[in-house]
Amino acid sequence: MAKTTLTKKINLFGWLFVIPAALFIFILNFYPMVSAFLLSLQSGRGNNLKFAGLKNYARLFEDEMFLTSVGNVITYLVIQVPVMLLFALVLASLLNDPKLKGRGMFRTLIFLPCATSLVSSAMIFKSFFSIDGIVNTTLIGLGVLEGPMSWLTHPVWAKFVIILTITWRWTGYNTVFYLAGLQNIDRSVYEAARIDGASASRQFTSITIPLLKPVILLTTIMSTNGTLQLFDEVRNITNGGPGIATLSISQYIYNLSFMYNPQFGYAAAVSYAILVMVAILSFVQIKVGDKR
Amino acid sequence: MKRKHFSKIGTYVFLSIVCLFSVFPFYFMIVGSTNMSVDIIKGRLFFGTHLFENFKTLTSTVKLGNAFWNSMRNALANTAASLLICSLAGYGFQIYREKGKDTLMGLLLLSMMVPFAALMVPLFRMFSQAKLLDTTVGFILPTISTAFLIFFFRQSAESFPLATVQAARVDGLGELGIFFRIFVPIMAPTFAAAAIVTFMAAWNNYLWPLIIMQSQESQTMPLLITGLTAGYTTDYGILMLSVTITTLPTLILFFTQQRRFVEGVLGSVK
Amino acid sequence: MKKTMCVVLALLLVVSSLAFAGGKAETAAVAADPNAPVTLTVWCWDPMFNIFAMNEAAKIYAVDHPNVKVNVVETPWNDLQQKLITSLSANATANLPDIILMQDNAIQKNVMTYPEAYVPLNGKIDLSQFAQFKVDVGTIDGKHYGVPFDNGATGTFLRRDIVEQAGLKVSDFNDITWERFIELGKIVKQKTGVAMISTVANEPDFPMLMLQSAGTWMFDESGKAFIKDNKVLKEALRITKEMVASGVCILVPDWNAYIATLNNGTVASTINGCWISGSIQAEKSQSGKWAVTNTPRFANIASSVNYSSQGGSGWMVMANSKNPDVAIDFLAKTFGGSVALYETILPASGAIATWLPAAKSPVYSTPIEFFGGQKIYEDLVNYAGKVPNVKYGVYNYEARDAIARALSEVMQGGDIDAALATAQKNVEFLMSE
Repeated sequence: MAKTTLTKKINLFGWLFVIPAALFIFILNFYPMVSAFLLSLQSGRGNNLKFAGLKNYARLFEDEMFLTSVGNVITYLVIQVPVMLLFALVLASLLNDPKLKGRGMFRTLIFLPCATSLVSSAMIFKSFFSIDGIVNTTLIGLGVLEGPMSWLTHPVWAKFVIILTITWRWTGYNTVFYLAGLQNIDRSVYEAARIDGASASRQFTSITIPLLKPVILLTTIMSTNGTLQLFDEVRNITNGGPGIATLSISQYIYNLSFMYNPQFGYAAAVSYAILVMVAILSFVQIKVGDKR
Repeated sequence: MKRKHFSKIGTYVFLSIVCLFSVFPFYFMIVGSTNMSVDIIKGRLFFGTHLFENFKTLTSTVKLGNAFWNSMRNALANTAASLLICSLAGYGFQIYREKGKDTLMGLLLLSMMVPFAALMVPLFRMFSQAKLLDTTVGFILPTISTAFLIFFFRQSAESFPLATVQAARVDGLGELGIFFRIFVPIMAPTFAAAAIVTFMAAWNNYLWPLIIMQSQESQTMPLLITGLTAGYTTDYGILMLSVTITTLPTLILFFTQQRRFVEGVLGSVK
Repeated sequence: MKKTMCVVLALLLVVSSLAFAGGKAETAAVAADPNAPVTLTVWCWDPMFNIFAMNEAAKIYAVDHPNVKVNVVETPWNDLQQKLITSLSANATANLPDIILMQDNAIQKNVMTYPEAYVPLNGKIDLSQFAQFKVDVGTIDGKHYGVPFDNGATGTFLRRDIVEQAGLKVSDFNDITWERFIELGKIVKQKTGVAMISTVANEPDFPMLMLQSAGTWMFDESGKAFIKDNKVLKEALRITKEMVASGVCILVPDWNAYIATLNNGTVASTINGCWISGSIQAEKSQSGKWAVTNTPRFANIASSVNYSSQGGSGWMVMANSKNPDVAIDFLAKTFGGSVALYETILPASGAIATWLPAAKSPVYSTPIEFFGGQKIYEDLVNYAGKVPNVKYGVYNYEARDAIARALSEVMQGGDIDAALATAQKNVEFLMSE
């Protein structure tokens, strides 16, 4: 008898612990999401919304700006995420060496960029790549460039600047995660491999990466999620330009809601498009992670 | 031997270059605070003598202290509330683990996939009806409970031995007592890491405060910064100064707590 | 222990701020008492320009109406748009201000999307003394919504010293065509090595300016997108491209880089709204070296004149205001009735009036040393009187963005007709519901 009561009471507490946080998310996240879904089934300008079924979703496929923004974001994703994560892995491996002097300092400095706000970092990088900014001055001085290059008005280089900014800001973050994961790998595994004659890079690919799989998966999903929802950097550095060469999906939603004539129904449909993309990609990544 | 030497040097050089890249923007920001706007636009990279002047102009143009205090108060309140609620939840999901809770956790994780731009208008409507506009509670409510933080605490709690919990129960400690008297002290690094991440996010939050702020008195630092870029001419000196001032708290927080931060992340990645 | 203390402290903060942060004191519904204390809340941006002007207006009004306080909330334009739309769409107008500042090119969009949100000023303010094109911009369906404020009349701002170094005179730039401007620009570049002009790459400022100088816009009278077959627009894009391709105009990535080209002496001129004079005068070392002429026009388009407008904004009264009549009276007596106000704000911030009586003030006909003694304010106000009227339309922002994109394509070597066709398609897509 006593055992059941105890278990019941414990169970109750278990749920009590969890409910406040869950409730917050339900009320402040899921409920607005449902509300947004209902909005996406309506169309019209401002407050003149009428029921339109799935018309907004059909419109998505004809919307050149939407499709371009999707293309842009996928470009960012495909380039930035692997490059950043690989870089973070390499950094973490290097920092994991207990014999390295100044480890703590290196680690701190590499994580430092995460302390800036996105607005601040965007503004700073924007000024770096301006016509008389540091990058041009340096490259001209080194003889690499003949005259100042307008980075931010070029459809390809503007994307590069954005990718660079994101990478600068988030590499340290992922490095710390990998470092933590690496601490769990016994040094004896590396020792054995070294004795067997494996080079450093071989050890990296055959030991480090496979053993860090769960953490790598976690950071991949987080980074994918973040990049798909990219907003602050694009808005503050190029504002979607030149033309719409750097427009991100979130920025398009923002434009649809607040810059152009407000089309909240359609904007809601676009945001659900992001949701679907994120869900699919996460699912795929988890499955791929599980398979190996 | 020689090879090892080179690769050692190579490592140091590489890391130093990376650190240089990491730190340079901060240098730029701080130097900018000491220069005049015209000089900054021309690309000046050395310390100037206009720090005090910039500070005077900044404080006479905007309500700096007010904005700073608002940001600080919101961030502290947010962090305190988040730590409390999300740690309880993470602990609950792990220590009292069973299928129903696992399903709930999966469901909550979905919330991370929604772009904030989609939630803005419905949330505003709700807060307006609840008369929470322009209040501290209004500022922090949407960001108190995040699936990420709950997940973080749950992962960290995995390393907290159930045997300890059971022993404490036998000793007569209530469930809440176990949490506050045993879990919290032992998992201090986790809380430190969570505090840093949450504080940083709350401090730098832009979009939601923008929407919910209704009066000048509630302005926060990020909003102050964009306010400075909104005119026909931007004074880069005071802009860089305001960016530097905005970055200081998070910098100080991180510098003083970074060891605990790494420990805390360590504890969650097992 | 320390950690617990911190947590406790923070929790105390939360609790105390909850206690004190509850709703602001509600002002009671307006009684008939004209001397009851009234606070007008104003949303506008730019501390050195608009906010400064509004605060000065408040001081002037307070002399005769000491019971009226004006509370200015600094709100950057993009943020203001967003907050406005968020509140109006959620039908949550209790926290909206009494007066807002709105960019001219957004007035139509906002009024037509939320018509009940703004107070028509017909009969309550005398708008006849304002420059006609500014009044028209704020008139929808015969109702006036805006009190014109900042003058966007354009001029060609020139570096006299550079122009003369190239063997030219400032008067060579007055009453000319764009083709002539490009010719002169090439001469300046050749003789002095300095580019003639600069513009922000992602913004369609030049085409917009050119369109207005010809009295047309991106929409026809019925509101349909008029982009693909718009000869003026096509010519505007062609000329812009040629300016850049010939080296006469350099492209910069953003606003601050653009200002830098002026302050650094990287360019010999700029063509923009007269509010640019404030930024130009920030570089004290160039004092005495600048001059102003009117704007180039099209050679082949009959309706084109040497005058246009760029930017500019107006004050609007919100319908949710608890004191709309006080707000209207305030605007009428200051921005619509006080020469003293304009005299104060002109020298301090370069804010040029669209209210014609103010323009007659001696302050406006002072020779300005920075511009070599030219009475630029007098000239600019004159220009303002000749700017063609244009209806910006509801979908102005969509069209602007589409043209910016078309311009970008054309700069990369794309065909103008194709670019305009794409722009038309984009705008029509956004216009369709």
